[in-house]
Amino acid sequence: MILIAHGLVGRSDLPIPEWLFGWAAAMVLVVSFVALAVLWPEPRLERDDWRPFKAAFWRALASRPVEILCGAIGVFLLVVVVYAGLRGTPSTTANFAPTFIYVIFWLALVPFSVVFGDVFRAFNPWRAIGRGVGWTAARLSRSGLPAPLAYPERLGHWPAAAGVFLFAVMELVASNGDKPETLAIAVLAYSAITFVAMALYGVETWVERGEAFSVYFNLFSRLSPFESRGGVIGRRRVLSGLAQLKPVNGTVLLLAVMIGSVTFDGAAEAPIWTGRASDLITFWQDVGLDPQRAFELTQLIGLSLGVLLVYGFYRLGVMGAKSVGGGFTTEQLARAFVHSLVPIALAYVAAHYFTLLLFQGQSIAFLASDPLGDGSDLFGTADSQIDYTLVGATATWYWQVGFVVAGHVTALILAHDRALALYEDAKLAVRSQYWMLAVMVGFTSLALFLLSQANA
Amino acid sequence: MTLVAHAGHWLTTIAYFLPVVVFLAWLVVTQVKERRRDR
Repeated sequence: MILIAHGLVGRSDLPIPEWLFGWAAAMVLVVSFVALAVLWPEPRLERDDWRPFKAAFWRALASRPVEILCGAIGVFLLVVVVYAGLRGTPSTTANFAPTFIYVIFWLALVPFSVVFGDVFRAFNPWRAIGRGVGWTAARLSRSGLPAPLAYPERLGHWPAAAGVFLFAVMELVASNGDKPETLAIAVLAYSAITFVAMALYGVETWVERGEAFSVYFNLFSRLSPFESRGGVIGRRRVLSGLAQLKPVNGTVLLLAVMIGSVTFDGAAEAPIWTGRASDLITFWQDVGLDPQRAFELTQLIGLSLGVLLVYGFYRLGVMGAKSVGGGFTTEQLARAFVHSLVPIALAYVAAHYFTLLLFQGQSIAFLASDPLGDGSDLFGTADSQIDYTLVGATATWYWQVGFVVAGHVTALILAHDRALALYEDAKLAVRSQYWMLAVMVGFTSLALFLLSQANA
Repeated sequence: MTLVAHAGHWLTTIAYFLPVVVFLAWLVVTQVKERRRDR
């Protein structure tokens, strides 16, 4: 599946070498940085200017019946995925579960979140079940339900970071991670853990802090101008949602996992990794591991290195920012600027998985008609085909460069605005941002290098 | 020998990361100069 999506032919008609796009992107960032220093003298994103929509349409959209309907749809899809995984064909491409989880859920929800806000919160099946069970139990219980435990502050976003990392392990490390049955069992196991955590700490607390997918999609939804608060939909200044992010323990690591896992996915297809990986696999086999375990261990090392590379490079930039003065600790600065990594994570996801979503996403049309792969045709779309002519290799490259540059310029804007709010001295604020600019240029170069390698 | 034969590969890799290296070098030099001036 992934092989098809990434199996694009080389780009033979680019006017300049691919690496020159990297230089041009770096120039765009430097020019943007100078423009920000001159034209953006005051922080503009720190103020919470959320305003509710008054029109009846928005009130209807946030009403209880719509909320229940969305939750029911989420639960239905969860059941379909598990049922298809356990009872459907073992074929990865003919079963509904793998494509729905890895393409529709994991990828397609990202642009939806960026445009429309936190849509996953409305469709989250675990939240819907948790709230439904809580509501029912409260009515059945005579003495009322006990209050949930206080969520340990030290845990912060660590459970979410661990959850996203384990999802990446399923996707990139486990040899049978795309098998329908394995995925269904993983979904059941994750559901069980989620329900226990919700019972302990409360549904909303766990959704906001620990539930990996809720936290993941919520971070992207902060780029959207739309936000729902207390059952009321409203709008806010673009990007101000990220400025309102309250980083906790593990938030930096979570973003490093988000960017690092995509980094490894890109590197895993490139000679820079494949050459070394084969040596490492041979080494593990020499010490007694069977070929499958040797491959998985090698992939796990690669994934961990990807996360550590991103985490280390960000910390390096933060240490540089600390060195210019201002009296902040490294941890304070790491948390203060972590929101600027969200558009970078988006750029990495968009650029790397653009073709996968565009091409493999179409297969949901025939998979929805035949979710078990048993020859049924529920909606009359079982014979539909994937159109691979939607976008060519050269156009894909331009889109990818566009995503990468736009994501990093957005990150610069967020970091610049935060620096103005953080430092009393405007000069110090700009000097601190030299280091964040270095981080952005670094991530840009890495992204374009990996994309060029993956499609080489 | 192999190094030279594969120059096309590693030179391209270096070309991608040259902006980062140049920028970081400039940053370090500027900061060291400013510190010396402050003293």
